[in-house]
Amino acid sequence: MNTQTYFEDIEMLPKEDSVGMLAYCAGFIASLALTLVAYFQVVQQSITGTTLLLAVALLASVQFFIQVTCFLHLRTNKSSREMLAVFCFSLFITGILIIGSMWIMWSLNARMMPGDIEMRAYMERQTGI
Amino acid sequence: MSTLKIKEHFGHEERHKDTTTVFGFFVYLMTDLVLFASLFAVYAVLYQNTAGGPKGSDIFVLPFVLTQTLILLASSLTCGLALLCAKKGSIRGVVSLLSITLVLGGAFLFMELYEFGKFIQEGYGPHVSGFLSAYFTLVGTHGVHIFAGLLFGTILIVSLVHSGFTRGNLRKLALFTLFWHFLDLVWIFIFSFVYLGAFI
Repeated sequence: MNTQTYFEDIEMLPKEDSVGMLAYCAGFIASLALTLVAYFQVVQQSITGTTLLLAVALLASVQFFIQVTCFLHLRTNKSSREMLAVFCFSLFITGILIIGSMWIMWSLNARMMPGDIEMRAYMERQTGI
Repeated sequence: MSTLKIKEHFGHEERHKDTTTVFGFFVYLMTDLVLFASLFAVYAVLYQNTAGGPKGSDIFVLPFVLTQTLILLASSLTCGLALLCAKKGSIRGVVSLLSITLVLGGAFLFMELYEFGKFIQEGYGPHVSGFLSAYFTLVGTHGVHIFAGLLFGTILIVSLVHSGFTRGNLRKLALFTLFWHFLDLVWIFIFSFVYLGAFI
């Protein structure tokens, strides 16, 4: 079996070995850096709250796309367009699933029983205790 | 049709079949992504429901999880390099790099099981609260995938040593690398949102 051409034929690896090597090493170093940046941001808490959450989400997304291009070799060229279509559709479904669930459940939570303090205040108002 | 042409035609058909197999496996991975998405959604909905039990920030040990993350990332790299080695035709390179991948994957799984064991021993099992149920389901499902990957990889190494670079083995190798990289992709989000998110 000709291993040289096989992986090119099934589009798992680029034609040049050096390009493939570079993609893996660059992907690894970038992922390592992004992971460490996210980790130390959270440990040091130099920014907090929503800003920190957004920063971590951004770092994770960037790392996701770096790994998809460098490790999974997902390309936008014509022959891998079907893969790209499936990939984008899955991301779309993923987004709907996660954001939709959070939206519905949090809205539901907000409309549920009031918290302890509000409940007591309400009871006091109603009964005149 | 001359013999040569038949051969060419046949070779083309086989290649086409393998491209389809890779595509089909990719579609499977994407459905798996949707499975993980639903577990992430469950976690996002339930993580505040601690029911008097511990919060994430009470029980997670970040340096431990960072070690796990780096181990998995390194295994993702060695698995990609194994594919490059296979392209160059070095069977020893492939087998050794795949073995490193599996050892790293095994270490990752061992650390995960150790963490689960510690939580359960301290009385923070999945039955304690909605948060812990969602946590154990999400991370446990990822662990089960890693375990399946380890089995897949072991079979792949055995069959590479046994019969070398046959078409079937090359195809299996391609699918294994896709699967393994995919597991690292999912872990990025578990690390960022479950573990780091608990401290935000």
